[in-house]
Amino acid sequence: MFLLSPPALTLLVFFFVPLVIMASYTVREGTFGVASRTFSLDSFRTLTENPGFLRLLKDSMVLSLQTSFFAILLAYPVAYFLVFHAGKRRMSLLTLLIVPAWTSYLLRILAWKLILGSNGVLNYTLLNLGWIDEGVPIFLYSRTAVLITLVYVWVPFAALPIFSSLERIQRHLLEAASDLGAKPWESFLRVTLPLSFPGILAAFFFVSIPTVGEWVTPTLVGGVDGIMYGNLIQDQFSRALNWPMGALLSMVLLVIVLVAVMVFNRFVNITEVGAYG
Amino acid sequence: MAEARVAARWAGAGYYALLALFLYMPIFLLIVFSFNDSVILAFPLKGFTLEWYHELLQAEELLASIKNSLLVGFLASAVSLALGTLAAIAIMRFRFRGRDTFLSFASLPLVIPYVVLGVALLILFSALGIDLYLWTVAIGHVVINVPYVMLIVAARLAGFQANLEEAAMDLGATYWVTLTKVTLPLSAPALVAAFLSSFTTSFDEFTLAFFLAGTQNTLPVYLYSQLRFPSRLPLAVSLAAVVMVVSILILLLSEWLRRIGAGASKTKGIK
Amino acid sequence: MRNGPLFRLGIVIVLGLTLAGCGGTTVAQNTELILLEWSGYELPEFWEPFEAQHPEIEPKYSFFAEDTEAFSKAQSGFEFDLIHPCSSYWKLYVDAGLVQPIDTSRLSNWSGVYESLASQGNFDGQQFFIPWEWGYESILVRTDLVEEVPTSWADLWDPQYAGHVAVFDSGESNFVMAASVLGIDPYAATPEQVEQVKQKLLELKPNLLTYWTDYTEINQLVAQGDVWLAGQAWNDAYAALYDEGYEVEYLNPEEGRLGWLCGFGISANSANVDLAYDYINAALDAQSMANMGNAYYYGVANADAVPLLDPYFVELMEMGDPSILNDTVFYQSLTDEQRELFATIWSEVKAGQ
Repeated sequence: MFLLSPPALTLLVFFFVPLVIMASYTVREGTFGVASRTFSLDSFRTLTENPGFLRLLKDSMVLSLQTSFFAILLAYPVAYFLVFHAGKRRMSLLTLLIVPAWTSYLLRILAWKLILGSNGVLNYTLLNLGWIDEGVPIFLYSRTAVLITLVYVWVPFAALPIFSSLERIQRHLLEAASDLGAKPWESFLRVTLPLSFPGILAAFFFVSIPTVGEWVTPTLVGGVDGIMYGNLIQDQFSRALNWPMGALLSMVLLVIVLVAVMVFNRFVNITEVGAYG
Repeated sequence: MAEARVAARWAGAGYYALLALFLYMPIFLLIVFSFNDSVILAFPLKGFTLEWYHELLQAEELLASIKNSLLVGFLASAVSLALGTLAAIAIMRFRFRGRDTFLSFASLPLVIPYVVLGVALLILFSALGIDLYLWTVAIGHVVINVPYVMLIVAARLAGFQANLEEAAMDLGATYWVTLTKVTLPLSAPALVAAFLSSFTTSFDEFTLAFFLAGTQNTLPVYLYSQLRFPSRLPLAVSLAAVVMVVSILILLLSEWLRRIGAGASKTKGIK
Repeated sequence: MRNGPLFRLGIVIVLGLTLAGCGGTTVAQNTELILLEWSGYELPEFWEPFEAQHPEIEPKYSFFAEDTEAFSKAQSGFEFDLIHPCSSYWKLYVDAGLVQPIDTSRLSNWSGVYESLASQGNFDGQQFFIPWEWGYESILVRTDLVEEVPTSWADLWDPQYAGHVAVFDSGESNFVMAASVLGIDPYAATPEQVEQVKQKLLELKPNLLTYWTDYTEINQLVAQGDVWLAGQAWNDAYAALYDEGYEVEYLNPEEGRLGWLCGFGISANSANVDLAYDYINAALDAQSMANMGNAYYYGVANADAVPLLDPYFVELMEMGDPSILNDTVFYQSLTDEQRELFATIWSEVKAGQ
């Protein structure tokens, strides 16, 4: 148990305590001064009076599931290729996929707009090919744009846990399967895929949980219709300075995630799945 | 069979190349625009200039912020790696009450909006009288990185059975020896992946760094606030180009070193 | 977790840290200068005389990108000497006791500061903020892409621009803008009028492509041709696009251009007050201020700096004519209630359908 104490203690002091501080804001009247010491249920009232807020929460959850699905779908083949076909270079090739993320996210998004904007690379190409007559910002400023961009951002991160779970599959198992006459796709479906399931699951958590609260991407490429629940929370803290409202919106999200992870964990135990394939 | 394997290999390589292209396309454009003689990031290109790189060399605040970001990145990643690995070993190798609760709770930093954590930590630090400095940023980054590390390492530990470790202990190894000689080496790929992931998150993290940084600014804080002035954008773009090229060079160098190392110690192969 | 001893250890550590923090330290006076500042203003040419006066002191900066960030950082206990917020927030700082009155007789460059700007930093007869730079918010138009150039803020609602309008992602700015279109006083709106403004803003949504959040973004949107009308664009956006040869026009809408003003305040808890005064005075210096104006195309608070400005910029922004200050509708200092109202309405508009 002594193994757990350093991480548990760190999370206790620097995560749990701040969380409690934040939770206490949900029943305050205002952010600073006297109002921050006055009890009030105003934010609960605002939440119930604005069905739009919870609609955005639902939209965000759908978006997060879509993002993790596509990110895993795109990442799996790459992780598979790296582990089984890339030889000793696999670690470097994996890193190569991560490196773009060392450039400021904001700048990468601005660059995406160069590709997809009215006057961008894509339109220029399509115009010259004669496929379209007028430059339109294809794929930008919509919910689809948010999805595409999020998938772009998360693919390399989804590849990491899948990569490390495929790495540990012992080659002789696959050789044994093939010696026993299994076709490649059979050994993939019956050996490789189940054995890599913990990695897929980790990738799923990895991608889906942070994207529920995502706000930067919707701000930059979501336009008017692509606004997400995370934007609401961010607005309350960074622009509106309405911490009670922001705290309440965050707590709603945190509780949902907590319950989802616990339920999920009950049915599919991340620690046991795959160990015995 | 061999033919199918070769085909799969080529298909995989092709797919890898496509994905890499997809990921690098924006970077490539940024590099092109870092030589563009215009303060606005839009087509058409205006002309070639080295002015932005020239200005970059003189932007002392900017260079200082890069140093700060590297420091925070390495510090936060090292600590998160240690803590996250311990947590992963604990949840994968021991049965204890509240294990599910701990797992769910430890996943929460993944979802907490950074601005909430940032503000809350700022309140905590000022209540405790702790002055803001770079290491307070690192603490914030450790909190958000531990769950990532834990998930990556746990996914790896799920793979080799605990009986490997038990065998080592049956043979008389102490727990620490087992940990350092069996568990950790077997987890090496996951540890590298986890470190990469932490460093990447930390290096480009804005919100926590903003609230917790004191007067030592990290690179994202400096860059984001620069965007208020359109005329400062090219500087940020040329910096991004430099960061990218340097990272790739480092990567190539380490690959080259690995090959040399592999050549020298061929007989020592572990796997 | 049933880890009694562990849990108790945690509590002990937290308590220990708390006690250590309560020790309190005495700070030596005038040994350093910490600024809570927009990045881009740290350039030495914007406060040149200070460097000559105190070569041993290197000002330290904590940067922010939005007024609210600076305000919440200051409110949460961050220690600073000087802060540089914009006028909408000035009263909030004064009411929260975060800043101290400034004795303008200690500022030798004070005499040149426009009276109409200075008065905005004066609360109950005391000067709390020293105005430094100001700018417009108006509509920036890509004249080559629109068939008809708009003439008023109300034209943002015109369906002919549907899908090509962007407004600043700010509750205050949009509330004031929509209220002035409706002829409502934004700072004294009745609940019915507030509802009218909210409906008006909801009606704008079908015309909007996106909300823009920073200047780099709006420049790119306009330059790429995605946005034809950029609402609440600043001087520098116009100047940058104009310089690059884009066909743009910066409107003087019928309802008037909106205007913002920012300036320096001294922390109520500053231990380096003398240095803070010297820094403000150095920033007010005509040459320092002209350096800022020429670099970023913002208006200057010190009239003495105007002759030192680039004539091209003075002509482009009509900086030589003092009457422009009177024709501009400056944002007023907000009370906490107003600030919260504007923000709440804007959240509801953004989440609404």
